[in-house]
Amino acid sequence: MSGSFLAVAVLGDAAQAAHTGSHLESLVNAVIPKATAAPELAWAGWILLLPVLSAVLCTAFAALRVKNKLPAIVTVVSLGAAFALVLKLYLMRGPEAAPVVVHLWDWMNFSWGGGPWKSFQADVSLYIDSLTLLWMLFVTGLGTLIALYASEYMESDRGAGYCRFFFGVSIFLLAMSALVMADNLVLLYFGWEGVGLASYLLIGYDYHRPAAVEAAKKAFIMNRIGDLGLAVGIWLIWVNYGSVEFATLFQVFTNATSDAGGWDRSLIPFCLMLGAFGKSAQLPLFTWLPDAMEGPTPVSALIHAATMVTAGVYLLARMEPLFVLHPHAMTTVAWVGGLTALLAATIGMAQYDIKRVFAYSTISQLGYMFMGLGVGTAFGAAYHVLTHAFFKALLFLTAGAIMHGFAGQLDLRRLSGLRRVPGFGIVCWTMLIGCLWLSAFPYTAGFFSKDIILVQAMSQPKFQLLGWIGLATAGLTAYYTFRVWFRVCAGPVSFVSGELAHQTDHAQHATTADLHGAPHAHTGTASHSSHANESHAGGFHPHAPRLAINFVLLLLGLGAILSGIPGIQSLRGQHNWVQEMVYASTAVRASGELHTTTPVAFGLDAHGIVSVFGIGAALGGILIAWWLHRLNRRMADRLRSMLLSNSLTRWLPTSMENKWYVDEVYHALFRLPMWIASHLLNFFDRHIVDGLMVNGLGRVPVLIGRLFQPLYNGLLQGYATTMAGGLVLVLAWVAWKWLGAGGAA
Amino acid sequence: MNPLTLIVLPLLGAIATAIGPSSWARWTAFLFSLAVLAGSIVCAVQFPEWHTGRYWPDANEGSTLKAFGISMQLGGDSVNMLLLLLTTFMVPLTLAGSFSGITERHREYYTWFMLLEASLMLAFLSRDLILFYVGYEFTLVPMFFLISIWGGTQRRPAAIKFFLFTFLGSIFTLAAGIYVAARSAEASGVWDFGLASLTRFGCEQLTDREQFWVFAGLVAGFAVKTPVFPVHSWLPLAHDQAPTGGSVILAAVLLKLGTYGVYRIALPMAPAGAVELASFFGVLGILAIVVTAMICWVQTDVKKLIAYSSISHMGFVIMGLFAFNPIGMQGSIMYMISHGLSTGALFLCIGMIYERFHTKEMDAMSGLARHMPVWGTFMIIFTLASLGLPGLNGFPGEFLCLMGTFVAEHDQPAGYPGVMGPWFAVVAAGGLILGAMYLLIMLGKIVWGPLKVPGASADPHEHAHGDQGHGGLSRDLNVREIAILLPIAIACFFTGLYPRLLLDVTEPSAREALVSFPEHVNAYNAARGKVNPSGAKQSVTLMPSPTGSLPRLMIEQPLQVTP
Amino acid sequence: MIGTLAQAPSHGVTIALTFSAVLFALGLIGFLVRRNMILMFLCTELMLQAAAIAFIAFGRVHMDTGGQVFVIFILTVAAAEAAMALGLVVLLYRRRETLSAEAWQELHE
Repeated sequence: MSGSFLAVAVLGDAAQAAHTGSHLESLVNAVIPKATAAPELAWAGWILLLPVLSAVLCTAFAALRVKNKLPAIVTVVSLGAAFALVLKLYLMRGPEAAPVVVHLWDWMNFSWGGGPWKSFQADVSLYIDSLTLLWMLFVTGLGTLIALYASEYMESDRGAGYCRFFFGVSIFLLAMSALVMADNLVLLYFGWEGVGLASYLLIGYDYHRPAAVEAAKKAFIMNRIGDLGLAVGIWLIWVNYGSVEFATLFQVFTNATSDAGGWDRSLIPFCLMLGAFGKSAQLPLFTWLPDAMEGPTPVSALIHAATMVTAGVYLLARMEPLFVLHPHAMTTVAWVGGLTALLAATIGMAQYDIKRVFAYSTISQLGYMFMGLGVGTAFGAAYHVLTHAFFKALLFLTAGAIMHGFAGQLDLRRLSGLRRVPGFGIVCWTMLIGCLWLSAFPYTAGFFSKDIILVQAMSQPKFQLLGWIGLATAGLTAYYTFRVWFRVCAGPVSFVSGELAHQTDHAQHATTADLHGAPHAHTGTASHSSHANESHAGGFHPHAPRLAINFVLLLLGLGAILSGIPGIQSLRGQHNWVQEMVYASTAVRASGELHTTTPVAFGLDAHGIVSVFGIGAALGGILIAWWLHRLNRRMADRLRSMLLSNSLTRWLPTSMENKWYVDEVYHALFRLPMWIASHLLNFFDRHIVDGLMVNGLGRVPVLIGRLFQPLYNGLLQGYATTMAGGLVLVLAWVAWKWLGAGGAA
Repeated sequence: MNPLTLIVLPLLGAIATAIGPSSWARWTAFLFSLAVLAGSIVCAVQFPEWHTGRYWPDANEGSTLKAFGISMQLGGDSVNMLLLLLTTFMVPLTLAGSFSGITERHREYYTWFMLLEASLMLAFLSRDLILFYVGYEFTLVPMFFLISIWGGTQRRPAAIKFFLFTFLGSIFTLAAGIYVAARSAEASGVWDFGLASLTRFGCEQLTDREQFWVFAGLVAGFAVKTPVFPVHSWLPLAHDQAPTGGSVILAAVLLKLGTYGVYRIALPMAPAGAVELASFFGVLGILAIVVTAMICWVQTDVKKLIAYSSISHMGFVIMGLFAFNPIGMQGSIMYMISHGLSTGALFLCIGMIYERFHTKEMDAMSGLARHMPVWGTFMIIFTLASLGLPGLNGFPGEFLCLMGTFVAEHDQPAGYPGVMGPWFAVVAAGGLILGAMYLLIMLGKIVWGPLKVPGASADPHEHAHGDQGHGGLSRDLNVREIAILLPIAIACFFTGLYPRLLLDVTEPSAREALVSFPEHVNAYNAARGKVNPSGAKQSVTLMPSPTGSLPRLMIEQPLQVTP
Repeated sequence: MIGTLAQAPSHGVTIALTFSAVLFALGLIGFLVRRNMILMFLCTELMLQAAAIAFIAFGRVHMDTGGQVFVIFILTVAAAEAAMALGLVVLLYRRRETLSAEAWQELHE
């Protein structure tokens, strides 16, 4: 099962286009292997149960008012055990084993006849193939490491908060494992919403800060919009294919030659896309992710960088057999990904909060992953997910270490030269690894994974523009990444502590929003910092990271370095592990490289273009960042104020710093009209439905009563007369009726 | 165990509470309600028809009391049993939840409550239309007094509106029921109000025109009770003004009488009318879901918010019922149960706050998770259950109701054509987003945020240190309150994680209820030019599927994709 | 029904019904024109007895003892009524020192 899978997949018209005048190795209609039931693997259920166990124990610890690190220990141990189980599963199954299904217990399962369309089977069962294992390996692995990191990071909150935090992490791992290992779309939906819940709970961890509560709510609601798409997609799949189980669906998909069917069938990929774009913060629904940085940093690293946000990529890779049936689905994915990558990168260039810069870079990199899926290299996308998981988790954890050390300070204008602050060496050097990897420095893992995606885009004429967008974004990425590193780690030593130093209880972050109000704070960072050093942070000592944090950072750095190995193998044309894993899974149908030797531009083929321009963009971006933010920081400030002072160019920095006003536009387009409509409806309900209709109806009998009131004058004889009169009337009517009838007869 | 016991036991409880001393009243009532719970569990264990959809005890006309065609037929199928268990489960918890909230006229309160339970038992157990109607209507009396004596400042208008509004609706129900009975008496010469015979007569003998009006009449009352959107305005007021116990039982059980009536009486008795009106009710369901969700958004009173959310949620049940397929039908039964649990619990939580702070205004409180962490935990659980988070009880019902609506097309392959279809479901599913919105805003206002304790002095920390809260209650929940909420939370998790149990037992009953629908729906759709390609004579009685029964996991041959 | 009556063999029934109607009319007129509460009460008794006679007459027509059973009931009820009503009248008289029904006009509020 090796050679044939390396061949190129069916890519509809894309493959057709590449076929003309290009060298294509061979065209094999890859078949997804049948899933078999594997009850002997029931122990894999413990991968789901271990996080449940630790969540339950964390709740118990909270109830018992445990004040030590027990919750962290329990969580790390159970997540570690889950990772060990995944590893065991992987070692047992190998990278290319046929998929198996492990039934754990019945969930939403009923039938009215059996068979497709006559039953609805959504059980808690696991679908284990190589894609599942690939994802689970880094999800549980990184989960364990980040929980270990958090055990130190969160130690000031020991007590109920500590329990709550690790409860959230456990719930997250449960939901994420369910999402990845689900054997049906409904269980996937369970995980999908579950990770949303965990994200909600953890973003709102510091619930006394309104900003955190607001961000948590926003994340959940925006995700819910995506979830709606996913739900509709699930219903459509059931209506069209009669099942929600992957094992059944994949057989149906592989046997379907095209998406012959009504509008509803062609809508399915777009519904699933909406879900994926919500979860993975892509173009219409990306605004929640930067706000999610209100959560504790380990959460940002685990959920909002490494694992949860890749769920959208996973969903699309998993359902790829369905997507390739539709001619425009993958193209849409590619374009949404590419445009999101570019947009997020431009915003990331102008942010001052380190975590926000990294958040926008996450959105941007996720955009690359979707682009990879869209242009037809599921391998590239999955590989980028893997490398990104390591280097982005690393970057966030270094940012967290800085935040931890400087009492919540994250403004890159107020931190400088940390390289020379005692105890921050490991942080700075591992951060450098992360930055190099993120900016796709040549021969790093990030370079390889981005390269694969861009080459794939470049080698298809209809995606060439996207390839150029990707290359431009790579340059921007390198710039903003090293903007952070050169500002924070290099340069003269100066720093301002964050506000957590004095107000541990009612902490308010120095957010970028505060600083926008006072642009002068930006001019002359060095003098400002030294001034503030005396007044504000006098006597403040940075709190250097200790064992757990440094250990995790080093391990992640090592992981990032090692994640380049498949890239090197791929470059040499050898089989590599990730490729094998992806090709043995459902994503096989859309995988494969279109190696084309036709020149794309400048006399270079796709490989040449991407190598030359990719390396150029990365180095160029780093150099500009070096010049503007290391050598000549005043120059950067002058540039900004120059742009701001000119009324023609002012829009550029302001709108970039204000995130292109997307939030404001959404507010004006959706939230405000709905808010007004709600008030109108409330008025309508209270005064028209209840007031006019119900109470009005209630008044009718009263009014009728008023009409006859004069008859009730208190005179007994009066009443008697009325009665007698009525009697006479009745008698008269009876007599007229009966006698008349009798006369007629 | 004779089901009559379940009616007599709460009645005895009412008598014992009424004649006993006032200080014993709560314990007498509580013990009797526990006895009823025990009785209903025994009943459920003995119940032999969980998987058959038949009734038990089987109505035996000879052995029952009978006069004027009204007979003392008691019994139920699995759905009755589930609603019965929901009632008997919620009543003791509600009573225990009233221990601290009710400070005056104990004896009357608990007596009325036991009478309420008795009438609910009667309504859920009767197999006779008039008997059902008696139970159904008698619930108004105790509820009227519960609201008008122990309610809030506007309790009198609230109680009167509640009583008159629901009563007015029920008149139509009774009239329609009597019409069917009269027609049946005309045909057979014998008056008989037994539900079984009336249903058979209604769906087989009445013309489509008659069925339309019979259905409209029957549903008029049930719709008010449910409540369906434009006739809902009694509910927010009643909930807002009722004491905690009243609100809980109103939301948890009384509203279910309406949907139960639709499910058990209206749909099977007049299927043609139901089909005729289905899209109308679909639109009403959508309105209920979307419009009331938006109204929830701007509420400032947390109890009113939850009351409106109840209307929104019952909209899902209505959608599921009018989808005419097992998915929607079972979904709506699931949703009835789970709504009873989670909304009831939310009202209990709000009551616990009200007892401490004497306010329900969301602006007056904030960040109570710090002040009352245990309460906050329960509040979050029930809110999440209410917004339909998978893994909790709200999800299976909501998902299946919407899915049922979604697949309720004229040509859908499940063998149960419907008249609604994807667009109904997609618009209604907007309620998923809106629901998350208002419930999370509520959580964000009262559970999260900076700490603000209503009525506390300027320094919130002063209170945070004292262990005694307001009203002689502890700051956070006490053992009694935890013991009330915990069983509901466990039930929520159980229903969410193992809904199979409920789906299994409701399946035959739902199929029984749907038996005459496909034919009517096909006729209705065909009259509108939408012919079901799988044949108008498609029968529900288990046509083997074209591919035969497939093993679940091992697919031997590729499935045929229908074009 | 009219037809049944017309074909009834017995003139006694017609006479009894006529008597009943006359009695009822007398009672009604008496009730309407008198102001004295005791007399008004007696007039209602008169009407009640008219109804009782009608019952007996119709019982005879249908050869059903039910009519006579009802009369027993009417007599009993009338007796109980008389006891209560006279008691009430005495009370009312004590309040206003008059038996006129007009003295209590304000009760209509």
